[in-house]
Amino acid sequence: MAARLLLRSAFRAATTCRAVPVPALTRGVTTGGIPTDEEQATGLEKQVLKSMKEGKDPYSILKPKEYAGTKDDPHLVPSVTNKRIVGCVCEEDNTAVIWFWLHEGEAQRCPSCGSHYKLVPHELPH
Amino acid sequence: MAHQAHAYHMVDPSPWPLTGAISALLMTSGLATWFVYKTTTLLFLGTTLLLLTMFQWWRLIIRESTFQGHHTTPVQKGLRYGMVLFITSEVFFFIGFFWAFYHSSLAPAIELGGLWPPTGITPLDPFEVPLLNTAVPLASGVTVTWAHHSIMEGARKPALQSLTLTVLLGLYFTALQAMEYYEAPFTLADGVYGCTFFVATGFHGLHVIIGTTFSMVCLLPHTHYHFTSNHHFGFDAAAWYWHFVAVVWLFLYISIYWWGS
Repeated sequence: MAARLLLRSAFRAATTCRAVPVPALTRGVTTGGIPTDEEQATGLEKQVLKSMKEGKDPYSILKPKEYAGTKDDPHLVPSVTNKRIVGCVCEEDNTAVIWFWLHEGEAQRCPSCGSHYKLVPHELPH
Repeated sequence: MAHQAHAYHMVDPSPWPLTGAISALLMTSGLATWFVYKTTTLLFLGTTLLLLTMFQWWRLIIRESTFQGHHTTPVQKGLRYGMVLFITSEVFFFIGFFWAFYHSSLAPAIELGGLWPPTGITPLDPFEVPLLNTAVPLASGVTVTWAHHSIMEGARKPALQSLTLTVLLGLYFTALQAMEYYEAPFTLADGVYGCTFFVATGFHGLHVIIGTTFSMVCLLPHTHYHFTSNHHFGFDAAAWYWHFVAVVWLFLYISIYWWGS
């Protein structure tokens, strides 16, 4: 997959370089010759860029949202499957992390501090 | 497309770290055999392997980043930390040589005549070629900043011109230093003065050559439209390294050439 992508993009890069006059005019024409990320990003970088523009964060780059952890405002835990490990630091600076599996369905509570956690499905762009 | 839920780059296995390590071994042992036995085989082998490693590894990185898009924002952040830490380690490397210089020169031993420069040493005039050699890295710092701003603003031709100018200034510095080395009235063997002078300026010169090569290598991706106005870390790293090299020269000039004369 990656080899095919490489071949294709290398071929395109090689041919555009040979035909310098025409691409120089169309490439980055608004900015003076250097392409922008919009025009040139590819692969995962492009996915991340596109998703960020739509306000989504499929690859969990940003800090997770803060929740109260109560029954009405449980911590929402995204998962690509139907379960995910949760590590609860019940109080700030606690050194003992409470680890447990969170399954889809009803919200579960941390066995130590009782905060509510709920699994939510997470979509990955493919 | 990778079916991963994170934005990091899990690299594929590659032989280049191994060949790089082997070339380091061959070059160091080759240097030793050259000094003792006057044979250059190991050194030559090591250098060839090093050049091969550099070419192949950096080609691979360009493929992974520009052509395959693996260098997302978190990956770039990691690379930036890496470069900063590397330059910091190089700063400490030079701190060692400055320590050696000041140790010997602040309280000159009686064997040197109790003064610095030691008796019998005619130091280079700091207001002749060394002053020119100070103006050159300062000017190249300006040109590399010019190049950076050109890239960020998307101006291709000025970026090309300023980057080329930076490389030319770097080569000019190396040429001037080489001439100074040839014409100097003292050598590495001339006591602690010669030793501290040539080791400190010599390693600096080596770093100038590395920095110039780095900038030259940046010209290639630039001419092939690899850089974007936002994402051009290879160039950022080269510019940081180049500024570091210029700053080290400033310290060298003030300590060894000016104060030490």
